[in-house]
Amino acid sequence: MKLFEYQAKEVFKEAGIPIPEGHLINELSQLDDAVRQVGLPCVLKSQVLQGGRGKAGLIQLVETLDEAKDKAEEIFNSAYHVKQILVERAVNIEKELYLSVTVDPVDSKALIIACEEGGIDIEALAVTSPEKIIKEPIDINLGIQGFNSRNIAYNLGLDTPYAKQVIPIVQKLYTVFRKYDAELVEINPLFITQEGHVVAGDGKLIIDDNASYRQTTYEKTSAYYDNEVEYEAALEGIPYIQFDGDISLMCAGAGLTTTVYDLIHYAGGTVANYLEFGGPNYRKAEKAMSLCLKNESKVILIVTFGTIARADVMAEGVVNAIAKLKPDRPIVACIRGTNEEKAVELLQEAGLECLFDTEEAVQRAVEIAQGGMVS
Amino acid sequence: MSIFIERSTKVLIQGITGKEGSYWTKHMKEMGTQIVAGVTPGKAGQQVESIPVFNTVRQAVNTYDVDASMLFVPPRFTKDAVLEALDSGVKKIVTVADGIPLHDAIQIRQEAKKAGAYVVGGNTSGVISPGKAMMGFFPYWIKRVYKPGRIGIMTRSGSLTNEVTAMVVKTGYGVSTLIGVGGDPVPGTRFAEMLPFYQADEETDAVVIIGELGGTMEEEVAEAIQNGTFTKPLVAFLGGRTAPKGKRMGHAGAIVSGGKGSVEDKIKALESAGALVAKKPSLVGQLLNRCIKEERFDDKRC
Repeated sequence: MKLFEYQAKEVFKEAGIPIPEGHLINELSQLDDAVRQVGLPCVLKSQVLQGGRGKAGLIQLVETLDEAKDKAEEIFNSAYHVKQILVERAVNIEKELYLSVTVDPVDSKALIIACEEGGIDIEALAVTSPEKIIKEPIDINLGIQGFNSRNIAYNLGLDTPYAKQVIPIVQKLYTVFRKYDAELVEINPLFITQEGHVVAGDGKLIIDDNASYRQTTYEKTSAYYDNEVEYEAALEGIPYIQFDGDISLMCAGAGLTTTVYDLIHYAGGTVANYLEFGGPNYRKAEKAMSLCLKNESKVILIVTFGTIARADVMAEGVVNAIAKLKPDRPIVACIRGTNEEKAVELLQEAGLECLFDTEEAVQRAVEIAQGGMVS
Repeated sequence: MSIFIERSTKVLIQGITGKEGSYWTKHMKEMGTQIVAGVTPGKAGQQVESIPVFNTVRQAVNTYDVDASMLFVPPRFTKDAVLEALDSGVKKIVTVADGIPLHDAIQIRQEAKKAGAYVVGGNTSGVISPGKAMMGFFPYWIKRVYKPGRIGIMTRSGSLTNEVTAMVVKTGYGVSTLIGVGGDPVPGTRFAEMLPFYQADEETDAVVIIGELGGTMEEEVAEAIQNGTFTKPLVAFLGGRTAPKGKRMGHAGAIVSGGKGSVEDKIKALESAGALVAKKPSLVGQLLNRCIKEERFDDKRC
């Protein structure tokens, strides 16, 4: 779960990491108060989860209240569905740094990453100038030590007064990483101000979904999803991604669903949605199909090859779902795995042909989507 | 002799009295796996499939020789259970739990490395040597998939493994040992760490890896081929070639992030190391044919 910037900054504030003074507004009428409180010039920062906000015009530096109103109105009316703006005091920037904590899966350690160039695309820099990136691995069973933070701060080439401010920020950022079960916590940029302070300019915090049972501070509401169907699927625990093509996938198993997604593209088709109803969801055929039917797709393609997710149970679910939902579009089924003979019987009784070859099923679905024969 | 698990491996089951644990204990036993004891806290004295249950791993290993432990433990208790097995000196552990918190996974892998142990999983179906033994839940009764043979298989996925392995078997091959390393971003054991065992296994002629977008495990395999650690023929199938950047495709580990993990990069690395990469599952068998024959006739890598 990726938090909004204002939430990441709430977390930073609570952890003692300095942030610029800011106020969150939900509508234009709150702008005056917010600007008065933080002062001018200020920065209007759209609270959306996508990256590249600056380039999209979703972050605006404004000098006057009138300018603030114009820009805020523009942002609220933009195509990006901005529901909240963080109004922040503008910072007199002397220098920008980069600081983050993430995971190194090979070494199985936490990894603190820093760079004396902030506000940059760190991924791009890692390719072009890897020598500029400072890395400090932390054994999370031992925790962060003082020397780890010193290694970061003194390798950034900072004057001592700044290094001494960065050291506790590194410590605190690591504490946030652990406390919130973070996949990534990032300050990009970390400002050094002309007044000599070190302040978090931006905040990114991605919390591991597998830890949601012990991370209850932030609830994942519909605001975190791109569309309503994705949210509805998430409430059911059904993995779902919206793509807006022709073929609805209703498959089992992440690897197989991803492969079917590839095969459709190879065959010249397009995917309306990715959906998995395997694993713990294999009895949810009806829900899965109803989600697929909310799309403008032309055909539903069912491909499974399950173990615990028994083929007969899934086939029965599909047959019942068809009876109940009366889908308005053709269904191509390729259901295999444990008790597959029984699955074939059930599907045949319901008048569905059960294919046994994934690539053949994909081909069939693509033909139907392109207006070919419905068999 | 197969790798990781064979007929003689003495297996402990943690979480043996649970629904999944008892159901799959029965199947593992039926298939020929030697299961010596089980553990469920508070259930000592019970029996599951005539297997004695203990309260703790320490009590179990004090009574029976244990080579490996199979965990049917929910994700939030997995770290505890793995550390308990490591603490008792168990060196091979398989955990099938789907949903282990990321930070727990890091700690598990770190402690396993310190102990010189292998933890396979989570988010996997486990390990199977068809016709011999299994730790996990594979539908070994589906003969067109789990046929004994001489191809080693390593995979990050469950259902896709059934799909690809069926194609390997259809071409006339069978499986020596199949290891599911799992679909999480930090699996306990990585592909490349298992390659030396396949290299040394005289019952494995070639290895198929079933990978996908995300992470660097496939690149590490390419490196092992490049530096000569692994010299047998290797064929890969990778899911997510056409996946959009930044989207998590099902598995938590299946996402291109930090500039790493695209399937194009993986294919490039594997092919330049001399491995063959199949575009579709149905082509895996053909590629195996090609490289195993070449290996035989002109001793050239595929």
